[in-house]
Amino acid sequence: MSRVRILGIGSPSGDDQAGWLAVDTLLACGMQAHREIIVKKLDRPGASLIPLLENASWVILIDAMQSDGQAGRIQRFSQKDWPDYNQGLSSHGFGVLAALSLAQAMASLPARLDLYGIETGSTAHGDQPGIEVRSAARRLACAVAAELNVSLSF
Amino acid sequence: MTERRSVAIHVPVLARVEGEGALDLRIEDGDIAELRLRIFEPPRFFEKFLEGRHYTEIPDMVARICGICPVAYQVTAAQALEDLFGVELDPWARAMRRVFYCGEWIQSHSLHIHLLAAPDFFGCGNAIELARIAPDEVRRGLRIQGLGNELMDLFGARSVHPVGVRIGGFHGAPSLARIRDMRDKLRAALPEAEALIRWAAAIPVPQDDQVFVSVATRHPTDYAIERGDIGASDGLRIGADAFDAHFIERHEPHSTALFSTYHQQPYLVGPLARLNLNHEYLPGAIRALLADIGFVLPSRNLFHSLLARAVEIWLALYEALRLLDGYRVPDSPWVPATPRAGVAIGCTEAPRGLLWHRYEMDDAGCVVNARIVPPTSQNQARIEEDLRLSLLNFGLDHPDDALRLHCEKVIRNYDPCISCATHFLRLNVER
Repeated sequence: MSRVRILGIGSPSGDDQAGWLAVDTLLACGMQAHREIIVKKLDRPGASLIPLLENASWVILIDAMQSDGQAGRIQRFSQKDWPDYNQGLSSHGFGVLAALSLAQAMASLPARLDLYGIETGSTAHGDQPGIEVRSAARRLACAVAAELNVSLSF
Repeated sequence: MTERRSVAIHVPVLARVEGEGALDLRIEDGDIAELRLRIFEPPRFFEKFLEGRHYTEIPDMVARICGICPVAYQVTAAQALEDLFGVELDPWARAMRRVFYCGEWIQSHSLHIHLLAAPDFFGCGNAIELARIAPDEVRRGLRIQGLGNELMDLFGARSVHPVGVRIGGFHGAPSLARIRDMRDKLRAALPEAEALIRWAAAIPVPQDDQVFVSVATRHPTDYAIERGDIGASDGLRIGADAFDAHFIERHEPHSTALFSTYHQQPYLVGPLARLNLNHEYLPGAIRALLADIGFVLPSRNLFHSLLARAVEIWLALYEALRLLDGYRVPDSPWVPATPRAGVAIGCTEAPRGLLWHRYEMDDAGCVVNARIVPPTSQNQARIEEDLRLSLLNFGLDHPDDALRLHCEKVIRNYDPCISCATHFLRLNVER
């Protein structure tokens, strides 16, 4: 089983595709050819994210984020940045933080987990992702490849 | 001497139930003066959206009604339309519809047990807290849930809003290799499901004996899931087309969901109702297990609902494995259908209970009007009745937090499709 996983999380709504775009770049440039690396696009996985974290040594998670920053800004979150999850969990609205918090409580997090957010602009349903997010996703894909010591063939 | 107090508990937003609802409880002089489960989510108009749509679009459209139980909506609609069009599914498609449905029961029930209901019984605020004290059990629950999702994906191409069902069968058939892999996983999951049942049976629950009517589909040879007549614990046995003669939906001012009654009384649908009516159709192995753990059926304690879901997980795994034994890839996964005008009626057992559909179709195969009666609206009157009886049994002199928690537990027994947050009651107390 692969020990390294790159997971891009998103939905079809505008810039919310940021994680998918990063993964698309990696796939288009041959990242999947490295048998020890799994690269996957996930559509709002909820609790299904947790099994994908298990039995991995290194997981790179890329998702869209919304804050007050400029669209396309990339931020890396370390575990100490995660806020305490103190809401109730439900079948609906079970987001990435809920899944990571649940995995952490079960000691199911991989030894290394890199969580990246790409700041979004419009996430309206039916919109195409904006140029800033497309460019950020490509930049992040290159950075991830460099970190994994994999050369991408553009 | 205990003072007979007056308390008003207003829960403005019910979470952990799909949609938006609230609970109002007013206790005056030691008695319940008002108790209302208010569903205030705006109507979604799905039935209206279906009007004018061609029958080929219906399975994919109704799958959008629920992200947790889309298969129930698809299979019920397909069953109704196939019956009207005189389509006879071939044995492969008939069996695989049941397998597909089993996947939904497995994922929905496991999700509810581990993420929604169980934390209540361990003094935990949510599943994260539960996972800290019972990590292996929560991990097991997520594995089982994931397997249910995989089974749905196998026949539906994805587990959320799947797209595999068509009138006459399925759009495609999984390969033998994928089925072999699935069978191995199902076989491996059965002991896990047995362990889940034993774990669920060991959870202390309140003793709460209530009299109610159980309603579920019934089939002469199977534990009814994807086909059957409608039965009730008072002996009623009717075809789906006679639903309106016995069940009435009505508006209540405090709810945008319809209330259903059976012969003017609330009734229960869902896992416990199904077990109450159909337990004799459970396989011998699970009946022996239930005898071993002392789970006596029928049960009049709604707090057995969590255990009932665990039992149905085992059953669904068993059924899927049984039906996939000797799997073959069919020449065609569907048979053709020719539309005709008329009224199509169908019913199946969604994870949360009886789901009933009615479509009036024109001769071009388009929907003239549609009516869908989901399980949660059928349980709504029963939930209010249960809350009243259960609170009286629990005792009204408990502190407000204990009353609130008890109400939450009661409501969660029904796994109402009004989800949002685990501890959903925001409490305002007026004294």
